[in-house]
Amino acid sequence: MASEVTLPEEMSFGAALAELEQIVRALEDGQLELEDGLARYERGVALLRACQEKLAQAKQKVTMLIGELEGDAQATEGDEEGAE
Amino acid sequence: MATPERAISVSDAMALAKGALETLRLRVVGEVSGVSDKPGYKAVYFNLKDGSSVMPCLMWRDAYTACGVQLADGQLAEVAGGFSAYPAKGSLQFQVRQVVLAGEGMLRLQVAQLARRLETEGLMRSERKRPLPAFPERIGVVTSPRGKAVHDVLRTLGRRYPLAEIVVAGVQVEGEGAVAEIVRGLSAISVEPGIDVVILGRGGGTYEDMMPFNSEEVARAIVACPVPVVTGIGHEPDNSIADMVADMRASTPTAAAEAAAPEAAEVSRRLGAERRLLGRGLAHLVTAGAHRLGLLAQRSVFRDPNALLGARLQTLDVLSDGLARALPERIRGERQAVTLASGALLRLGARLAVAHEQGLARAAERVGATGRELIASAERDVATAAARLDDLSPLAILGRGYAVCYGAEGAVVRSVSDVSAGERVRVRLARGNLGCIVETAHEEA
Repeated sequence: MASEVTLPEEMSFGAALAELEQIVRALEDGQLELEDGLARYERGVALLRACQEKLAQAKQKVTMLIGELEGDAQATEGDEEGAE
Repeated sequence: MATPERAISVSDAMALAKGALETLRLRVVGEVSGVSDKPGYKAVYFNLKDGSSVMPCLMWRDAYTACGVQLADGQLAEVAGGFSAYPAKGSLQFQVRQVVLAGEGMLRLQVAQLARRLETEGLMRSERKRPLPAFPERIGVVTSPRGKAVHDVLRTLGRRYPLAEIVVAGVQVEGEGAVAEIVRGLSAISVEPGIDVVILGRGGGTYEDMMPFNSEEVARAIVACPVPVVTGIGHEPDNSIADMVADMRASTPTAAAEAAAPEAAEVSRRLGAERRLLGRGLAHLVTAGAHRLGLLAQRSVFRDPNALLGARLQTLDVLSDGLARALPERIRGERQAVTLASGALLRLGARLAVAHEQGLARAAERVGATGRELIASAERDVATAAARLDDLSPLAILGRGYAVCYGAEGAVVRSVSDVSAGERVRVRLARGNLGCIVETAHEEA
């Protein structure tokens, strides 16, 4: 698999989750060789960990492409902490 | 005003009134109420009113259908026509020839017409609507940088899915220039790399405030956007044209943000489920492997090694035996074949040599006979040719008694004028020459 070259930390959340689901399906299928299955399991664990870390450490980033944000900014920042 | 001397009938009085009223031609604006539009009736009836007066109106159905307006209570309408009296009831009514909606009513009519046009073009078809991404990386937001809407969106996305980066195009969303600004914001977001979904929003407002979201330009910019667009335009229950052409319509900016991104807590639960499934998958694989191993271990091949090797060893025996017998037999066979072949070759050679010799002798004989024949024929030809040559020779002519006379210079004398008397000439005969002296030279008569 070409995607196995990419480190889970460098993948997008959606792509990592999609690959994780694919691994789970392959394992459930039971058609894999044991070595292959173990390798995929390890990959799956790495993907899982990367996803969980991304989710836990996520901090909203806002970029202004046009214009300046005005007012109510304090409320937005305050709410970021309540993301968990 | 002078009072007529004589009283007139009611009918005459109403007829007079009717005649006087019908000279008035007016344009009137007012609020529509009490609309009665019953199928089968020849006319549509309604009232036009303002703060203090009411004007009963009638509009013939063909005129009503032709003007394309759907009258409803509360609309501001501008009517053109004139008063008329209805003598049977002693009532007054305004006969409407034309009606147009004024103010918001007019705006709504324009919006409805544009919506119909865009719908005909297929811009609102459900097949055209793209699904929203499950896990967006970058979310574009086109809305006013001021006010509640942008903060509602940011707060909602920050709470639900802080993973996504938010790219905001803060644009003017109402009043003059808003359409161009919204279009500019949408196209700026469109060319921004990695945007997965765009939220187009604004807070609540009047119907007029919403008009930029009812413009054709904004509708086309939404359609042209390369990624899905979610609208959150807070003006329930009205649906703007932007809502109709968007890939997804949410009722408010907050609802649009909720639609655009998953909820982190939900994603986290899903990750937990994946983790359990992953563990179970591996256990399943190991169990399946162990089971297969168990089945294999029970095969006779693993219980009795001879069962695997016995058959092969026997085959080997049979083969080596065959090999031992096959080799000498084969060599003997081949030697005999060589002897036979060389004998045959020798005999064949001798036969070929004799045949060649005989052939050569026959050919030589044939060549000799042909040669002799050719020579005899050639000799005959030469003799014939020589005889013919002889006939043509001047010597043969001399042989027949003619002579040739040559002058002193050796030139042939053909006429008496060639020589003169006393001159020496030589006369060539068939055999020999005569030396002569010319005595006379006479010209023949």
